[in-house]
Amino acid sequence: MKTIGIILLTFFCVFYYGLGLTYAQQEVKVGVLIPLSGGLAVIGENLQMAHDFAVKEINEAGGIKSLNGAKIKLIYADTRGDSKIGMSEAERLILREGVVAIMGAFQSSVSYTSTEVSEKYQVPYLVPNSLMDAITERGLKYTFRVERKGSLWAKDQIDFIADMGKATGKSARTIGVVYESTDMGQAIAKGIRKWAPEKGLTIGLDEGYPPKTSDMTPVVLKMKRANLDVVILNSYTSDAILLIRTIADQRVNPIAFLGSSSGYSDPSFIKEVGKLAEYFFDLTEWTTDLKHSPLVQQKNAAYKKWNKDNRDFNGGAAFCYASTYILYEALEKAASYDPKKIRDAFATIKITKGPAMMIPWTPIEFDAEGQAKGARMLVVQYRDGQRRSVWPAEIASNKPVWPVPKWEERK
Amino acid sequence: MGGAKVTKGRWRAKEPSKVHCTERYEVAYVIGFIEATISGILMGGLYGFIAVSLSLIFGVAKIVNFAHGALFMVAMFLVYWILVLLKVDPYLSSLIAAGFLFFFGYFFQRLFIEPILRREKETAPLTVILLTSGLMMIIENVALLLFGADYRTVKTGYTGKVWEIAGLFIAQPRMIGFVLSLVLILLLELYLRKTNLGRAIRATSQDREAARLMGIDDYRVYKITFGVGGTMLGFAAAFLVPFYFVHPAVGELFVLKSFVIVVLGGLGSITGAFLAGIIVGIIESLGAQFINSALVESLIFIIFIGCLVVKPTGLLGKQRE
Amino acid sequence: MSWNRTFPAVAVSVAVLFPFVMRDPYFLHAAITVLLFAFLASSWNIIGGLAGQHSFGHSVFFGIGAYVSTILFIYWNVPPFLGMIVGGIIAAIASIGIGYPCFKLRGPYFALSTLAFTEIFRIIATTTEQVGPVDFKGAAGILIPFRPGNSFVNFQFAEKAYYYYIILAMLILILFIHNWIEKSRWGLYLAAIRDNEDAARSIGINARRFKILALMISAFFGAMAGTFYAQFFLYIEPILFSSALSIEILLIAIVGGAGTLMGPFLGSLILTPISELTRTYLGGTYAGVQLIIYGGVLVAVMMFAPQGIIPPLAKRYRKLFERRA
Repeated sequence: MKTIGIILLTFFCVFYYGLGLTYAQQEVKVGVLIPLSGGLAVIGENLQMAHDFAVKEINEAGGIKSLNGAKIKLIYADTRGDSKIGMSEAERLILREGVVAIMGAFQSSVSYTSTEVSEKYQVPYLVPNSLMDAITERGLKYTFRVERKGSLWAKDQIDFIADMGKATGKSARTIGVVYESTDMGQAIAKGIRKWAPEKGLTIGLDEGYPPKTSDMTPVVLKMKRANLDVVILNSYTSDAILLIRTIADQRVNPIAFLGSSSGYSDPSFIKEVGKLAEYFFDLTEWTTDLKHSPLVQQKNAAYKKWNKDNRDFNGGAAFCYASTYILYEALEKAASYDPKKIRDAFATIKITKGPAMMIPWTPIEFDAEGQAKGARMLVVQYRDGQRRSVWPAEIASNKPVWPVPKWEERK
Repeated sequence: MGGAKVTKGRWRAKEPSKVHCTERYEVAYVIGFIEATISGILMGGLYGFIAVSLSLIFGVAKIVNFAHGALFMVAMFLVYWILVLLKVDPYLSSLIAAGFLFFFGYFFQRLFIEPILRREKETAPLTVILLTSGLMMIIENVALLLFGADYRTVKTGYTGKVWEIAGLFIAQPRMIGFVLSLVLILLLELYLRKTNLGRAIRATSQDREAARLMGIDDYRVYKITFGVGGTMLGFAAAFLVPFYFVHPAVGELFVLKSFVIVVLGGLGSITGAFLAGIIVGIIESLGAQFINSALVESLIFIIFIGCLVVKPTGLLGKQRE
Repeated sequence: MSWNRTFPAVAVSVAVLFPFVMRDPYFLHAAITVLLFAFLASSWNIIGGLAGQHSFGHSVFFGIGAYVSTILFIYWNVPPFLGMIVGGIIAAIASIGIGYPCFKLRGPYFALSTLAFTEIFRIIATTTEQVGPVDFKGAAGILIPFRPGNSFVNFQFAEKAYYYYIILAMLILILFIHNWIEKSRWGLYLAAIRDNEDAARSIGINARRFKILALMISAFFGAMAGTFYAQFFLYIEPILFSSALSIEILLIAIVGGAGTLMGPFLGSLILTPISELTRTYLGGTYAGVQLIIYGGVLVAVMMFAPQGIIPPLAKRYRKLFERRA
């Protein structure tokens, strides 16, 4: 009697275990590293929604067909905005959760370090949003990055300023770069210093301020005194809000202000500063009214309907959404759970259709260093609370207002 | 032909008129200097007012209260919600905030700090710093859970409005906040000097033992002091909400600065804290004009250490340790 | 009586055999982190516990160690083990500069002044980019170049067990030093200064000299921890200089029991896993909950056991054996 019981029990356990195994094989585990707490929680939450939406669509459409319809399962890990935590979380995702690929981590410093971990364990890592040049300049084989390099962001900003001058006849001669003393801010500033002289622009103000400053008036006064034609700004959300308000209070009137995304593209920015953001230019990777593909409007509308806040995509979220589809294509191509094969799929992929085309360039492919080839930035201008694309002209759907009206002249 | 014709404002000293070029530049320079000073005074006054609460607590109870910023944040959220939900103007609701914070401070002291004070004769600064740090983390993150991580701003009748005086732009809410702070500080000083409770507070801050021997219930004094400190924070929050943002971590921006101000101004000296706040504000503002603003922050800390070493009692400090 | 000898011997053997039993790299990683913080808190313990000077500036030395050895490694190919010593020396020298003004102050003023130093260093580290041939990279932080395999020269190992034994050895070293100082004459002076500095001075003890000496030793070892950190995590950034880290170190030593030998180790054993676990299981869904728990621990310890865990435990431990004897 006892023996039968034991045999039955064993059968049961094996059966149960087997069930678990087969179930496990029905999903592809993908790790996602983003800041979900602390100061960047707002941004992290935004990105999470985009990833979730993409995965929902993919799974509902039948999952990964080359893997028998296996569904993608996202396993999120909170980096708390800290690079050290990012590294240990990456390790945990790989070793304990068994993910076959990772996406993340928004902040350059966190992506920079966590990709070294994934390289060590040979797991492919797709970086949708980080701009630090060095991320794809280390000879790593498992890192793939969609975002344009930070120093080239600066180049695009300088090109935009020069193009505006040519198009409207009102050229800028001196520019200023005011930025948060974080890795992103310093990266942009470095790029500006490099590219400005090439278009004949002089830098009249190069001011890095400490993040979490309680009062922006000193910086703004310095800006005013410097008599700049264009002021390039880079800040996270809280500083961006304070900065714009102080700029409006102090009536600083250059030809234009140009943001570098980050805080300036955060939905809460426009919500909190309202009309003050009007005419503000912002460098961004994406916006809702791009002309290059009807998917942009379609998918944005679907996303807006789906998410609880009725939000549009912003640049960061759009890229996360598209990157999830790039991952999907890589998985389809690899037809395998082996991270090495998935990596090879990334290296040879060339996407020209599908929701990944939200991204404003085509085709989507990566160079030998893992950098997305053909990546380019665009510039939007805030009009009536909307981010309207104004540059480059081929894919933008609006004309820019340059120079912008003075504060005194606005209602 | 591009865009609108740009009218050159008085700051655009780039016209080819050679005769007036340098003069214009110098005038702009001096005006910039004055602007920075005024801005520094206004913001500094507010910094000082925020620090007053800390000074009182530090001076009377010798408590290093790291939860200071968190309490300030609570006050700010209170004012924010009253404005958003009940449509009551912050300057009016400041009274409610002040009242609420009085009790909040009172019970904060009673629940967390008093047990420690009763247990040890000399409260080790370490214990209190860690305790209040822990409380700060709890308060801030509970707020984060409840209110989310959004940065919230408000629009009142004077948000974004400026007064233009001789070409200088002064933000209305900052000026109003500054003036009101000044008034409240004077009232507080009067209170401390003229009323019995005020005198009891001052006596306890000078010598806890002696005060007790005189029949003053020092624990009650501490609770009242915390309460009064809370009141000041309540007012300060109401003054800041019109032009600032509200966020669970907003207090962190002011904590260290408040400590620097309190030490510079002298422990327990209210007017000292206010003046020191103004000095810090001016250093911040003027300093940023000449050197990189990131380094200005470190300048303030260096001055802080210097002050501690040279004159630990601060500018108007009466205490001798 | 023999229990007094066998217990540590057993403990050490367990510690030594641990990596062979626990092969999961994640747990090993956690264990290494626990030991690292135990070491760091023990280094603080010299100035904070033995000398009773509750410095909030310890992260400065940690950061100095990390940056010095890393820069020497990247630009001049100095083996990090050597860089560790250099970092320690530089930190010790820096500690004189910090100790001199700060030790003039007492109580909360002392605490605040040391805190101010951490902020100053953090700001300088955040804003310093290129200085001559060396790029400090400011806020971006420095990645330690990856060297495959196991190498003592490069102080990088593919097998975590190596790191484990190194930090274990470092911890045992500092515990020996702590014990030696405590039992020496110098330790008596420090204890006197800790208990009542004025009285100590009045009987002729040169408080300032001893305090600075203690700080130098604390700084030296704190910097060593910094180098280990750099070589283990392979990334350093200005946040390492932050006051938050200083407070964390303090907390570990206090929870375990400042001044006691095993206090920092126990403190780290309790606190480091708590912060790891709460982050792993709660960090994703409920943002900030782990910090509420962390804060809760802080408050609870300060309100109910500000002396730390060890002293009440030690009393019970002793009572247990008094009864036996």
